[in-house]
Amino acid sequence: MVDFARVQKELQECNRDFEVSGIKVMPKSDANLAHLLGTIPGPLGTPYEGGSFKIDITLPDGYPFEPPKMQFATKVWHPNISSQSGAICLDILKDQWSPALTLKTALLSVQALLSAPEPDDPQDAVVAQQYLRDYPTFMGTARYWTEAFAMTSSLGVEDKVLKLVEMGFPEALVRSTLVSVDGDENMALEKLCSG
Amino acid sequence: MGNSLVAAKEKHNLKRQSTFGDDNESSWDSAVMGWNPHGKWHAVASWTWDAQDETCGICRMAFDGCCPDCKLPGDDCPLIWGACNHAFHLHCILKWVNSQTPQAHCPMCRREWQFKG
Repeated sequence: MVDFARVQKELQECNRDFEVSGIKVMPKSDANLAHLLGTIPGPLGTPYEGGSFKIDITLPDGYPFEPPKMQFATKVWHPNISSQSGAICLDILKDQWSPALTLKTALLSVQALLSAPEPDDPQDAVVAQQYLRDYPTFMGTARYWTEAFAMTSSLGVEDKVLKLVEMGFPEALVRSTLVSVDGDENMALEKLCSG
Repeated sequence: MGNSLVAAKEKHNLKRQSTFGDDNESSWDSAVMGWNPHGKWHAVASWTWDAQDETCGICRMAFDGCCPDCKLPGDDCPLIWGACNHAFHLHCILKWVNSQTPQAHCPMCRREWQFKG
């Protein structure tokens, strides 16, 4: 049984110093504290800078005696994160977990992983190979993915409308489509293109 | 493991009962709560666990409170110290130790967990 009293405390504490850490954790629905959504800012001085990365969190029954399950919901180009599934290769989310760690400290570790890739212990072999053999291309791809997938959601609604209208879609249709996909710009574009 | 734990707990309880004041695990404060009109002082004593952190690193509840499985703080939900001097609710650290095979580590410092003898 998940210790929900502790989870509740963790959420309060984490969101209290959001101003400092930039790290946020929200329940996906009010009814269920076992499914959460974390947000971490891309570290400065990395190709992830300026991006806002969403992480799906599922708490196993044994939490906090078992680690939370975390995977990237935002696509990210990094040797230790699957470019396909968002799965994260990080020891503290596996055998190095300690019940003294929290959702916030785990997310801080994920953020630190973005700053310090470990290409010799890859989760995504293609990305790791690129990192080792062609570092400039790796940097370019990682930056492109950040701009394409991790920065759009930080745009205001009006920016998104403007961007899509500039692509030639009628404004009224753009607005209704954005509403129907909960403001997700990429999904709105897909929907608009498919007619 | 089971036997050494029982021994550790008994020793811990004995220590608490046998000292009144300078025990290194809990401390007592005498306090006079009030004066009543019949002219009698009512002295009461209060105690707190003498742990460095105020909350258990596992359940994040106050040490003066109890673990999430207990209803009342006190001897039924004791604190226990590791050889590394980190304290937890006994019930919390037991759940962690029992979930780790073959050797559990202290959740705070990752040293091999040993109950303080």
